[in-house]
Amino acid sequence: MPPLREQIPAPRVGTKTTVMKTAPSALSRFMDRHQALVYPAPAVIALFFIVIIPIAYNLYLTFTKWTIGLGQPRFIGLGNFIELFSDERVLNGVKVMVYFSGLSLSLELALGLLIAVYFNREFKGSEIVQAIYIFPFAATPVAVALIWRIMLNPEIGVMNYLLRSVGLPGSLWVSSPLTVIPALVMVDVWKWTPMITLIVLAGLKSLPHDPYEAARIDGANTFQIFWHITLPLIWPVLIAALMLRSLDNLKEFDMIYTITQGGPGISSETLYLYSYTVGFSFFKAGYGSALMVVVFLIVLAFNMVMNRIRLRAQDL
Amino acid sequence: MKRRMVCLSLVALVFVGAFSSIALGAVNWKQLQGTEIRFLMNKHPFTTFIEPKVPEFEKLTGIKVTIEAFPEDQYRNKRTIELNAGGKVDGYMIMPGQDDLHYWKAGWLQPMDGYNSDPTLTEADWNFKDFFPSFAKASSVDGKLIGIVINAETSLLAYRKDLFTKFKVKVPQTMKELEQTAKFFYGKEVDGKKMVGITLRGKGAAATSQWVDFLYSFGGSWTTPQGKSNFASSQSIAAFKFYGDLLRNYGPQGGTMLHWAESTSMFMEGKAAMIYDANVFKALYENPKESKVAGKVGYAVIPAGPAGRLPHVSNWSLSIGKTSTPERQKAAWLFIQWATNKNNSLGALLAGVPAGRASAWTSKEYKSKDDHPDWTSSTMKSFEIGQPQWNPPVINVPEIRDITGQVIVDAIEGKDVAASAKKAAELMDKKMER
Repeated sequence: MPPLREQIPAPRVGTKTTVMKTAPSALSRFMDRHQALVYPAPAVIALFFIVIIPIAYNLYLTFTKWTIGLGQPRFIGLGNFIELFSDERVLNGVKVMVYFSGLSLSLELALGLLIAVYFNREFKGSEIVQAIYIFPFAATPVAVALIWRIMLNPEIGVMNYLLRSVGLPGSLWVSSPLTVIPALVMVDVWKWTPMITLIVLAGLKSLPHDPYEAARIDGANTFQIFWHITLPLIWPVLIAALMLRSLDNLKEFDMIYTITQGGPGISSETLYLYSYTVGFSFFKAGYGSALMVVVFLIVLAFNMVMNRIRLRAQDL
Repeated sequence: MKRRMVCLSLVALVFVGAFSSIALGAVNWKQLQGTEIRFLMNKHPFTTFIEPKVPEFEKLTGIKVTIEAFPEDQYRNKRTIELNAGGKVDGYMIMPGQDDLHYWKAGWLQPMDGYNSDPTLTEADWNFKDFFPSFAKASSVDGKLIGIVINAETSLLAYRKDLFTKFKVKVPQTMKELEQTAKFFYGKEVDGKKMVGITLRGKGAAATSQWVDFLYSFGGSWTTPQGKSNFASSQSIAAFKFYGDLLRNYGPQGGTMLHWAESTSMFMEGKAAMIYDANVFKALYENPKESKVAGKVGYAVIPAGPAGRLPHVSNWSLSIGKTSTPERQKAAWLFIQWATNKNNSLGALLAGVPAGRASAWTSKEYKSKDDHPDWTSSTMKSFEIGQPQWNPPVINVPEIRDITGQVIVDAIEGKDVAASAKKAAELMDKKMER
């Protein structure tokens, strides 16, 4: 193999004539001059086609009435957004979303934090326990949801079998409008608390030791240490974990769709699920897109508020 | 041009009829050798039956067939999206009663009359007249044939023959008797299990397919002759109420979450004395590997309501994609013709898929192998009296089914059915597209 050096062109120094001889083509000169534009260009172009165009098209569809297959999208201005206000299922969808997300996010955050604090110490077999603990989070959502669907069946599911075997009455779980959301929250908490724990645990490991030592010397008890030191220090991490989780949780789809498809009736139909039904079951692309935009705005607004809280917490 | 084609086709048909002995075997099955076609299919017992046999067709014709099958919900989505995008879909499975108006208006269905009447494309002994007329009619839009039926469906009352004999209970003949029988069995302990009287679908839109038989049998209907929703009529309300009460009082817990899979599981677990669902599920009930009640099930036509016994008939058909090329469409027709020929129809029926061909049912081979003559006779009876309009007569069927499903859920939950039905009727009038 020839030495590598021979293949590398000589540096562009020297007289004008040498520059002329080894002059780069117009294209490479252009590339040299516009590196900031040229190098990200392939990624930007790809993003343009797979992200920007679909979003723009989606926005355009929100102003149209169109059943997929029947004619072309017809411009109706704000018609879809006006329809939102008279559609009972939109209000129901928002209520379900708030109920489900409010309950599941707060439980996941609280439990995730407590378990992280518990794991953040040396004990025998801690690694094995932690590995087992993240199992639910690592499993495929749809597969897990299918298993839960069978387990939660009030007649042939294992959950009621277990309850009855210890003398407790069975529950209707996801089959009753009263218990469906708590039951879905239970599955969500089971699956996603480990994620919060992992993030918080990483945060806890990076906390400084000095304040803890000082507190112990001053005679603070475990709760005081947790409340006055750990919690304020870990707060920004907690908010970041909440933001990450809320992105998925507010538009939770696979788990709810697999287990209840929004039922019984529309008792667990979040706005996101409803927009899917409108778009892909009723094939009403215009109205479905408008619903999707509303979901997007809710997620965006929630995260903007959270981000502000996080920044404020970091400033403190 | 079209008219001339039809005339020519008719003339051809007459010739074929007159010289059927000559025409027999006149189709050159190799005429489209080398063509490649793609079919979208629902994961259905028919697909399970035909897929392994496709190499036979490929050998016969030299046409390469790709079959892509998906579970039903995803299948409907994928098919619609692909057809809209103009994808290479040469043929597909369709339930005409569910999607034909939408697909016809969208221009995704290729009329088949031209192929059916062309002696160079259709064997004389394929004999379209052999298909049940009610199903052939259900697979037509605006008088044009748009699909060939591969699965002829109706709903039947399946009951535990062993328990009915043990407790000396007669098979219910009227809706009142149905309720009494369900009541009789509800809470009875059999083999250490508490029974429910009956299990039915209750999951909103999914329940409408069986509920519609109660609607008709109680004298109700989807729409009035003027085309308005008829849900607020006393007959329709009675049907909603009867169905909801039956399931709430004598059915499994959590009735509003029962799709066919959950409902049939209850029955197959031996926990329900009766089930009212599609006749095709005989294959599930009688499968000893999965069902604890195999061999213990009897079958009957729906009990009579105030308006009589009025079950529905529905079907899955194979259709040709209109966006395909003429050559591939012809190849798709050859495939459909082969898949629905006498031999394959009989094979499918023996595999538990109710065939759309009368001759399959009356054949000696089927009769000699028929383990459940009561299923066969009830199915035949149901085909005879069946109502083809099992879905609302609109383009946006899923949306109207969804509205209907909400009343069924309210009825199962014991809410004010009349108020719910009235509200649904108003919404339906607003949303119906024709």
